[in-house]
Amino acid sequence: MQYLKPAFRKAAFYCHSLTLNPTSVVLFPFRFRLAPPVSRFSSSMAVPPSSLDKQFDAFRVQLEESGTLRDRIRSVVSEIESSTRLIYATLLLVHHSRPTPDVLEKAKSQINVLKEQYKQLAEVVGGCPGQYYRYHGDWRSETQSVVSMLAFMHWLETGSLLEHKEAEEKLGLNSSDFGLDVEDYLIGVCFMSNELPRYVVNQVTAGDYDCPRKVLKFLTDLHAAFRMLNLRNDFLRKKFDGMKYDLRKVEEVYYDVKIRGLTPNGESIGDQGIQGQS
Amino acid sequence: TVAGTNFQSSTKRVRTMATAIEPAMKDSFSRYAEYLNDLNDKRDRVVKASRDVTMNSKKVIFQVHRMSKYNKVEVLEKAEKDLVAVTDQYMSRLVKELQGTDFWKLRRAYSPGIQEYVEAATFCGFCKNGTLLKLDEINKTLLPLSDPSLQPLQINILDYLLGVADLTGELMRLAIGMISDGELEFAEKICTFARDIYRELTLVVPHMDDSSDMKTKMDIMLQSVMKIENERICLRFSIYNFCSKFVIFVFLIFYVACFSVHVRGSEYIPLLGSNDTSSFLVGVPDIEI
Repeated sequence: MQYLKPAFRKAAFYCHSLTLNPTSVVLFPFRFRLAPPVSRFSSSMAVPPSSLDKQFDAFRVQLEESGTLRDRIRSVVSEIESSTRLIYATLLLVHHSRPTPDVLEKAKSQINVLKEQYKQLAEVVGGCPGQYYRYHGDWRSETQSVVSMLAFMHWLETGSLLEHKEAEEKLGLNSSDFGLDVEDYLIGVCFMSNELPRYVVNQVTAGDYDCPRKVLKFLTDLHAAFRMLNLRNDFLRKKFDGMKYDLRKVEEVYYDVKIRGLTPNGESIGDQGIQGQS
Repeated sequence: TVAGTNFQSSTKRVRTMATAIEPAMKDSFSRYAEYLNDLNDKRDRVVKASRDVTMNSKKVIFQVHRMSKYNKVEVLEKAEKDLVAVTDQYMSRLVKELQGTDFWKLRRAYSPGIQEYVEAATFCGFCKNGTLLKLDEINKTLLPLSDPSLQPLQINILDYLLGVADLTGELMRLAIGMISDGELEFAEKICTFARDIYRELTLVVPHMDDSSDMKTKMDIMLQSVMKIENERICLRFSIYNFCSKFVIFVFLIFYVACFSVHVRGSEYIPLLGSNDTSSFLVGVPDIEI
């Protein structure tokens, strides 16, 4: 019986509207139809494409196009990724004490392949100028790895930091069409600094006792330069925070070398007494 | 140089600022710093403008919900005016900040605001015209906000679709309110409209960039449409219940009425017999019933 009150209220309104609309459902239960009249249902199936349909069809076409574009981008990026891995494998040889110039020679030739692939990427995206950042996520992390490798190579060659503009040029990019994002560049540089502690350790083991001093100077400068930036709490900030651990590790190696008198600054006492201590 | 002079062995090393950063590096980094500062400041301004758009669009939506059969025209007029104010005051700020590449670069910062705006505009549009306000139509109203020399801000398909997905939630609330008010025809229109939107979206959603947001919205949308449909069927069942009870009630009354007439009739005769001496029934004994 508790249905009765709200049912009564609803039914009263419904009856009121019924008197104005005699074609709607009849009151008596044994002639009651629960479903809407069949005619209304079938008519909506036969309706020609409305303007609503047209708009959404147009959307579907556009979105399919952008989906296709994204697929093409992704296929070029996966090629970039394989080239990057090849270059990385080449660069790893510096840890194995292969002579640096040879390693660099090989890596540079592989960079040319990369350059071609970025050109391809630029062409694919170039069809839709202004949409660089729509698809940017698809090549962001690969580009960061590429920058880190280029910066490491540049440092091995010159001892200085590869600048943003220089990195852009090495990849054959330019900022007006398809450029190198500044944040990608900075994150790439942070990744490079992660490589340095290991490099220093292996160089010292191989007998290059001047390396720690050079790396320390470089990394200290780099860390101080990064401190000039006002960073937000994002991925770049996290990577920058990681840089101080790299710096600390290099300092430790430098210290270990120095107290043993191994630095080539004329303070070296020789291999006899101190070297054996650890 | 660092080598030799300032080095201390403790881990808590005091780094002297006397060490000058290599000048070329310092130069580059001051440029990068400037770039990042500009970018972050702009992002902050865009977020703020987007929040203002969100808040004021929500107000438009609440205004539309105040609609009832008595004040429909006034309420919708006010809602339209409010929407125009949102466009002129708040959307214009967004347009100023977003130009060229920033349009896509800062999308995460302003997308929620645009979605809410689309929701409000399409909601007003439906209540007024019974149709879905198209993306082209909304973008046309935004053209005058942009400087003609610059690329105009145009809402992109993705934000439009996300906004339309949210629209069905508001439609659901409106429909249920209309059913309670007895405006059943309007409620039915809303139901059809919501179903059409859902149907159109199912074909388009899989192609959207990062469609995971949208897929969640689609689930919610289906629930909204079903809520409207369930409310309508509840109404029909409750009418059925009422009517069947009404019929039974009528029969009961009829039966009781007949029964009491019969009962009254048999009580009447012995009374005549016992009191009236001139009646032909004098002397007949009273019959106990």
